[in-house]
Amino acid sequence: MNFLNFLKEKVSYLLSIIFLQITIAIFLMPYNVNKVIIMYIIFVPIIITIIMIFLEYKKKKSFYDNVDAKLNELDEKYLLSEVIDNTNFIEAEKLEEYVRDLGRSMIENVNKYKFSQKEYKEYIEMWIHEIKIPISVVKLIIENNRNEVTKSIEEEIDKIENFIEQALFYARSSNVEKDYSIKKSTLKDIVNESIKRNKNILIQSDININVHDLDNIVYTDSKWIIFILNQIIQNCIKYSKDINKQIEIYSKEFNQRIELYIIDNGIGIDSSDLPRVFDKGFTGKNGRIISKKSTGIGLYLCKKLCDKLGMGIEITSKINETTCAILKFPKGTHLSF
Amino acid sequence: MSRILIVEDDKKLREELGIFLKKNGYEIEILEKFEDTINDILKTKTDLILLDINLPNLDGEYICKELRKVSNVPVIIITSRESEIDEIISLNYGADQYVTKPFNIHILLAKIASLLRRTKDLSYVQDKIDCKEFILNISQSKIEKDDIQIELTKNELKILHFLVLNRGRIVSRDKIMSYLWDSESFVDENTLSVNIKRLRDKMEEINLKSLIETKRGQGYILK
Repeated sequence: MNFLNFLKEKVSYLLSIIFLQITIAIFLMPYNVNKVIIMYIIFVPIIITIIMIFLEYKKKKSFYDNVDAKLNELDEKYLLSEVIDNTNFIEAEKLEEYVRDLGRSMIENVNKYKFSQKEYKEYIEMWIHEIKIPISVVKLIIENNRNEVTKSIEEEIDKIENFIEQALFYARSSNVEKDYSIKKSTLKDIVNESIKRNKNILIQSDININVHDLDNIVYTDSKWIIFILNQIIQNCIKYSKDINKQIEIYSKEFNQRIELYIIDNGIGIDSSDLPRVFDKGFTGKNGRIISKKSTGIGLYLCKKLCDKLGMGIEITSKINETTCAILKFPKGTHLSF
Repeated sequence: MSRILIVEDDKKLREELGIFLKKNGYEIEILEKFEDTINDILKTKTDLILLDINLPNLDGEYICKELRKVSNVPVIIITSRESEIDEIISLNYGADQYVTKPFNIHILLAKIASLLRRTKDLSYVQDKIDCKEFILNISQSKIEKDDIQIELTKNELKILHFLVLNRGRIVSRDKIMSYLWDSESFVDENTLSVNIKRLRDKMEEINLKSLIETKRGQGYILK
């Protein structure tokens, strides 16, 4: 708030004082009152009014400046009412009251949604926990009755498992709490585990796997990384060419970080699509042409989970030649979260 | 033959698990009622227990804890909970291993075998396997026959070992691949063909080439 604006608001008040005092002076004129007294009657109240206006301005200015400053400092601005002070005039008191009420109702509302989200997450986790039992049974039945039919069912069951895993991590990724646990693990174990998980479909698709230089140690939640790798590997399979399919996985150590490369020789990603591959629901040209099954969720989730883990993820590609996904792990114990 | 007790409340799951383990050479006992679970478990004579964590009436973790007071029988916990906490709690209560549903059945099998080997001191995976016509030396990765020794590569050893374990049965290429992938050799079709050809060449050196027979469209069999 600046003084001029404030003055504009007060101008009618000031003008009426001036008008009033001048009127009084005019009425006094015929009575031969001393000019000094007339001047006094005119100017002293006006000057006092101006001083009052100025003092009021100072007081309000300091209050609003204070509120502005606090607002700037606050991350959660709806907590403003907790930090307002200097409420030594009536509007400020009122304002504080309103802000407090607003804040309270806002927090109640937020809590309501937090609670329902938490409940939903718990439900999803319970559901996933439950559905794993029939899936285990189906897998055992398949194992006990190996033939062409059950083999085909197994492939579909694997897909179902992947979708379930995606749902689990979706629930986890949108959760405000941190429910990962950082542990020391070697990239080799992580990569091998995720290849083994996709064993059936990789063998089925006749893809050559080339893993090397994976002795680096990373501090992360390996379950999350395995999920992220699963998404990437499944993309490699989905967007592969017809022959000589290959996936190469290796890691490289840098000063500040360790990078894990997952490179395929598939159909690649159009350069105009590249910047948006991590957007939710984005399927791009590949999604439209090659596979109607693209959901645009996989990479979106990868990015979200990486953000939560304090990691980087990047995708580069040459159309019709190769796609390279890079996972960047912060090094040592200086974790950025 | 080792005896395994399955404690799992899902009827179909325990039955299918039973069939699977029987196929793989174990004797099976299945617990059907869960009213007096701990005593029922103790009554059975068993070499290993597969224990579900979520049982009616009782918590698997509690059972494990109670069991440990009187028995040292190896326990593998089966659960669909995935969290680290659950894993730590179960292991603290004295479970020996922990697998999550839906489990990789071959990994479960490997865990069972290694636990039994440790506790019963049975040589399920011996250093050397006597296959009559030749001896498979696993620790040195060699085939031995009389005085001849032939070195095998890592993959050749794994393939031959798998064939030996399944002797007399047709083993499909997919199964061999799957087995190799489980042990972290991610070979493709071509590599497998090359490996098998080399393995045969090596068998020929000791005049045993005909031992590995190709069944067209089905796989291989070690006669």
